[in-house]
Amino acid sequence: MKMKLALTCSFLLALPGLSTAMADSAKSFSLADDPKPALVLLSNKNDGGWSQALDEARAKVGKELGLRIPVVENVPENAAAIRPTVETFIDRGFNVIIGSAFGYSDTFKELAAEYPDVAFLNAAGTTNSDNLQSFYGRTYQSQYLCGMVAGGLSESGKLGFVGANPYGLVNWTVNAYLMGARQINPDATVTVVFTGAWNDPVKERAAAEALVEQGIDVIGQHVDTPTPQIVAQEKGIYGTGHHRDFSEFSAATQCSSVWVWERFLAPEIEEIAAGGWEVEPNGAFLSIADGGADIACCGDAVPEGLEARVMAEREALIDGKQIFAGPITDSKGTVRVEEGEVLSDADLWSMDWFVPGVVSQQ
Amino acid sequence: MEFLINWLSNVPQSAVPFALAALGLIVCERSGVLNLGAEGYLLVGANAGAGAMLTTGSPMFAFVLAALAGGALSLLFALLVINLRMNQVISGLTIVFFAQGLTSLIAARNGWTSRSFSGLDQLDFGLLTDIPVLGPILFNQDAIVYLTVALFAGAVFVFKRTEIGLQIRAVGENPAAADSTGVSVSLYRYLAVVSGAMLIGLAGGYLSVGVSKIWVDDMAGGRGWIAIALMIFARWQFWPALAGAVLFGCIEALIPRVAAVGLQVPQYFVLMLPYVATLCAMVWVSLDRTRHSGVPAALGEPYVREERR
Repeated sequence: MKMKLALTCSFLLALPGLSTAMADSAKSFSLADDPKPALVLLSNKNDGGWSQALDEARAKVGKELGLRIPVVENVPENAAAIRPTVETFIDRGFNVIIGSAFGYSDTFKELAAEYPDVAFLNAAGTTNSDNLQSFYGRTYQSQYLCGMVAGGLSESGKLGFVGANPYGLVNWTVNAYLMGARQINPDATVTVVFTGAWNDPVKERAAAEALVEQGIDVIGQHVDTPTPQIVAQEKGIYGTGHHRDFSEFSAATQCSSVWVWERFLAPEIEEIAAGGWEVEPNGAFLSIADGGADIACCGDAVPEGLEARVMAEREALIDGKQIFAGPITDSKGTVRVEEGEVLSDADLWSMDWFVPGVVSQQ
Repeated sequence: MEFLINWLSNVPQSAVPFALAALGLIVCERSGVLNLGAEGYLLVGANAGAGAMLTTGSPMFAFVLAALAGGALSLLFALLVINLRMNQVISGLTIVFFAQGLTSLIAARNGWTSRSFSGLDQLDFGLLTDIPVLGPILFNQDAIVYLTVALFAGAVFVFKRTEIGLQIRAVGENPAAADSTGVSVSLYRYLAVVSGAMLIGLAGGYLSVGVSKIWVDDMAGGRGWIAIALMIFARWQFWPALAGAVLFGCIEALIPRVAAVGLQVPQYFVLMLPYVATLCAMVWVSLDRTRHSGVPAALGEPYVREERR
């Protein structure tokens, strides 16, 4: 027992992403009644970013499937807050519970075990079971395309990037951003500053201003607020956004990596309703073709030729082009992906290296 | 050299929120009322300031409103701890949670979240601003930076030289003695709690109007708690609190600039620095037994006339 626990633990440590795999092969799941989905949101439904994107998907899915989908906002990442919210929904007959946070993972796993006839979906979660599926987008694809826009717009070839914390799902956007930029400008560099917080406009502004001092002329981001875009507008440079189309908040924004959850959730709920739903054992890790993240492009400053190249590359990604295809060597000279191979999902989630051309503290 | 100027000229802006919040905390706590609600006052100040900017566009009005919002919220706190003599720890924490909910509600209702607005202009002192190096660092800041220094000087004057300051200190050290000489404990505690909260509200207003130029939920980001640590580190003294805030400002302004030049220092180490500095300062303060720790003697204790302790 101890051995098994230790093995499970080491496995979890090795794969911090969408793991807990390799349990039993998932059994198929069927609902007893018609689907009644409900959404549990981490923050305000008009937070301008992450939660708002999910709420907009909720409205679109509801319209498409002809369902009224209720939402609860501001449910923090602890069991004492999540549990009563979800149980209230279940008591009232809701049978597809959609979560919205990494921090819901454990509680959702417990709830899924306690309510085996309810289907659970959790955005940015890490746990999966017979009736619980986490989902996230392959944001490196959308950020790669934004990187192309940035590389094309930059005159100095120096791009800036404001990230939250230096772990896998942020690091891959930084690397992809540079790799995209180098499709257009092979000499481009990306300087990245991490703020250590997802939602701190004061630190984001300081980071963006420090980057501008270093002479960058396009700024990308993987933090929650549009502050870096607003700084870009003040300084007369361009920017690319994340979560939603940030041109809503700043005229500097020429492209954004945006969530398109409705493209995933609507067919997924239909599949659950049809019966025989099978959970992906590692969770659903959605590419542009599956509807996770896509781009909102392009702003007025983007020339037609550049836009056409970005859109052509988007089609190539949908057709299966791999961004992290070997050979890839990191900035310290270690070979990360061999010739002819593609970086595995597990290696993506644990990415702690940057490609040459990324200027960072790591 | 340019790095140094860029860094140091950003220090005041990073330091002011900490400085004003610590100032407000000291004013409040010198009257014997423990204040754990700083994060909440920062939030209502930031929220009111951002709202005022988005609706009227006047920074002056925004700062007045931010201070008033802090003061208004503190009336509730004062009612709980001074009149109803509730536990000051719990009441302070309640204020934080209440402010978090209230500000996100107000912002959501009015559509303020993530909307940018213009902030404050830097003052130009002509020749002084043109002095190389020192000009941009000392003489090209916004008005609130200079106001902060003035407010510190004012607070020192009031507490050292005036009757009001003496009586606030008296009710914080020995309320029974003050009461027996005819000083109204409740009145002076109210005065200290409300004016302290107005200062923290102003700090919050500066956070949104002066620094980030945007409102997002929970944007105080734990700065209220750092201000509490600063107050303890400064032994409830004004000038050391300002010095501590400047130290924090130095580190906060340095962090992104070290990253932007790509200096190879581990990320988490750098992000940890302000907190390490706080810890070291607190340890240093507690090791130094030759000096009084500075805690107001009656801090945290509700005053009940003729109650034996």
